[in-house]
Amino acid sequence: MNLRWRVTAAAFVLFLAAGAAQYGLATWLGSATTFSRDAVTALSFGVEALGFLVAGFLLSFLGRGYRPLANAIASLAFGIVTFFVLRQLKPPSFSYDRFFASTGELLVWSLCAALGSWLLAMWGASLGMLIGAAGHLDGRFQYEWGIARTHLRLNRRTATVILLFVLIPPGVILLLAQIAADFDKMRRAGGHLTVRLALMLGAIVVVGLALAGRALLARSALARLQPGQRRKRPATVVMTGISIAGVAVGVWALTVVLSVMSGFEADLKHKILGTNSHALLLKFSNDFSEWKTVLPKVEAVPGVAGVSPFILNEVILSHGQTVTGAELKGIDPATAGAVSELPRQVIAGELGWITSPQSIPSSVVEPHGDAAKQLEGPEYEQYLQDTLKRRQEHPEEKGKMDPEAVKNLPGVCIGKEMSHQLRAWVGDIVNVLTPLGEMTPTGPVPRSRPFRVACILYSGMYEYDSKFVYIGIPEAQRFFKMGDNIVGLELKFNDVDAARALGRRVVTMLGGFPYRTKDWAELNRNLFSALKLEKLAMAIILTFIVLVACFNILSTLIMLVLEKTKEISILKSMGARDASVMKIFVVEGLTIGAIGTGMGLLMGLATCSFIEKFGLQLDPDVYYISNLPVNVDGAQFAMVAAISLCLSYLATLYPATKASRLSPVDGLREE
Amino acid sequence: MPALIEARAVHKSYWLGEKEIHVLRGASFALNAGEMASLVGPSGVGKSTFLHVIGTLDPPTRGEVLFDGLDAFCMGEEQLAQFRNTSIGFVFQFHYLLPEFTALQNAAMPGLIHRMTREKAEAQAREMLEIVGLSHRLDHKPGELSGGEQQRVALARALVLGPRLLLADEPTGNLDEATGEGIHQLLVELNQRLGIAAIVVTHNPRLAERMPRRLRLTDGLVVEAQ
Repeated sequence: MNLRWRVTAAAFVLFLAAGAAQYGLATWLGSATTFSRDAVTALSFGVEALGFLVAGFLLSFLGRGYRPLANAIASLAFGIVTFFVLRQLKPPSFSYDRFFASTGELLVWSLCAALGSWLLAMWGASLGMLIGAAGHLDGRFQYEWGIARTHLRLNRRTATVILLFVLIPPGVILLLAQIAADFDKMRRAGGHLTVRLALMLGAIVVVGLALAGRALLARSALARLQPGQRRKRPATVVMTGISIAGVAVGVWALTVVLSVMSGFEADLKHKILGTNSHALLLKFSNDFSEWKTVLPKVEAVPGVAGVSPFILNEVILSHGQTVTGAELKGIDPATAGAVSELPRQVIAGELGWITSPQSIPSSVVEPHGDAAKQLEGPEYEQYLQDTLKRRQEHPEEKGKMDPEAVKNLPGVCIGKEMSHQLRAWVGDIVNVLTPLGEMTPTGPVPRSRPFRVACILYSGMYEYDSKFVYIGIPEAQRFFKMGDNIVGLELKFNDVDAARALGRRVVTMLGGFPYRTKDWAELNRNLFSALKLEKLAMAIILTFIVLVACFNILSTLIMLVLEKTKEISILKSMGARDASVMKIFVVEGLTIGAIGTGMGLLMGLATCSFIEKFGLQLDPDVYYISNLPVNVDGAQFAMVAAISLCLSYLATLYPATKASRLSPVDGLREE
Repeated sequence: MPALIEARAVHKSYWLGEKEIHVLRGASFALNAGEMASLVGPSGVGKSTFLHVIGTLDPPTRGEVLFDGLDAFCMGEEQLAQFRNTSIGFVFQFHYLLPEFTALQNAAMPGLIHRMTREKAEAQAREMLEIVGLSHRLDHKPGELSGGEQQRVALARALVLGPRLLLADEPTGNLDEATGEGIHQLLVELNQRLGIAAIVVTHNPRLAERMPRRLRLTDGLVVEAQ
């Protein structure tokens, strides 16, 4: 068997091992741990990719080279095997209308597997060529780095300049953010210039003048020089600078956009989980009267942090002449705080008053609490004034009913937007109407009951604040004539992201059917999958900026290789190995990529903190939040850096391989 | 005992578009260890090509190059690089020093390529620079050295790992007469002191004549010159 077939066979076996490792790991993680589905996917495919990489690396030793053809044959065979294995496994389709993936889809997946294995193996082979071309590992970069540094003109002076370039723009952005924040504060405080602001503005003026003077001096000095005295800069140095800037801009854009997107996601998640629990425990029947025995069992399940019963039904609310539809939720105010943020969303009144309506004062209730502070702004102040004034001006509204009867009316909590719509404040009486009424001789008649507003809630989600009203569980059971029944239990877990797996655990503990759980991601699947898709699309589109920047690196390195042909020849005549020449240019490209990435990350970090401090305004009528949110996620930044460095590495491979394959006499013969 | 280096019927041709140019047409010669020879011939006759082929930088189209009786081009890329690193030193018409490095760092480069530690490589380089008479110029960059000094650094770099064969391609071609004379003197001295075999290509007939052995390249063949 000749070398090619041996390499091919070895590659095929290694690819199969990597594929099997992916499947095995995914199955094991899915059953034995509580990792989310995304985490399992990422981990298992990461391991598979690593397997391909290692396979390519090992094969570059066996094959003494890249061996693209042998790898391609092995990848093709691997793709064919993958197709038949997938057909046996019947994996679920990406589209929800069919459960099993169709043949076409399996074909696409197999092709992806084949292509992925080939690309990653070639990548691994490039590493093999770089540090193990001679059949033994040689990861030393000592003189290669020294030479790469001279190509990049990286000495103490330029390193200082680069450091300044890396630090100054983010510093300026941060300073601007601080000044903007201080200026905003000053305006609100009534125009008093603070010492800090004055100092910062003064510093800017001084630095600006100094820089302008320095630039003028340098210009005049330059003008006095003779043409021959001006220092010449080779084109490659300029190109190196442009490449660094390109990578920096790409990384900057990527980090800022991803941070804003995850800011939106985190904000949405926070608001949804503030009002909703992590999961609902439901039953495949209408009878959940045994809930009082189920509740302690669920509470005992490890990973469960809180349990609270609930009832949910649609109703109509009216106050005076205004009517609105609503979701009426019966809750237990004592335990509701354990599964949601509801008690902390109260901006006026008390959540507990829904079960003790006697405590609702007949006097005017002023807004309070942390949530109320979030409502600063002229519009809200106007609304509050209107509501409170109206109550003071029309005290006779209450006079229609017997004050004692009023005191015994059950309490209801409504959202801020609904309070706005109904023009109802704490202490007002609203009518709740359910279509599930009684049968009378004249046909079905809706049932209605008066309730007293016990508190106003603010979650920040317009939908929730305009839709949800809360009453006590016993009152809801009476109102809907449910006896001791409830709809389900709300659950809160220690780990939000493990909600699905922990939900499954709870159901298993309860003996399975007829119990079932729905986690928050499932309940808001449309929203979150849209957000995820948007983020992915954004990441892919913006990665193209980095990709384009890496083409800059590629062309810079090709220019450098052409410029340094003679030097490469000399090094080779001194006995430099092909791998060493390759290392020189790979290190150069990586240095460009690393400087650009570092610069971009710092710029991104500074921009994020600028957005956070300065608070870019959003139109609250269009978005549900007033300021552009940002969420600086270290893992995300690390991922962007990794992507950028990987692309930089890939960009170096062509020029570096080309340089390493130059014959020693190519550069010597030019004379 | 086989000669240090032997070329057997070496052919080398290049393709210029459709035209094949035969540079070497079966050149043969042998050089013993410690022997020193000059190589002369008109411009464009292929002296540099000949040096490149016997210096293992360029494989011949046909024919063999033997070192100690073994075919050099049978080695893999890796061993060949190793062989060039330790056994052959090159000096060219232009010094080809790395402009960003000092004389010491330039001379230490072959040692670093050999994966010596920096200290050891620089110690050897310092020693060799002393031999070529440049101990006072260690920390100067090539741009700050004169033409003769640059060529001395190049010589030190070629000899730092103690090769057995030195191939010098018009080392004095770019220097004035007096400086060239000095370099030549140094070459002869080194040959006697270190016992390195050397082939020196030159256009200067006076310098060529002072060599113990004189070779001439004509019509793609190496002949002994009288």
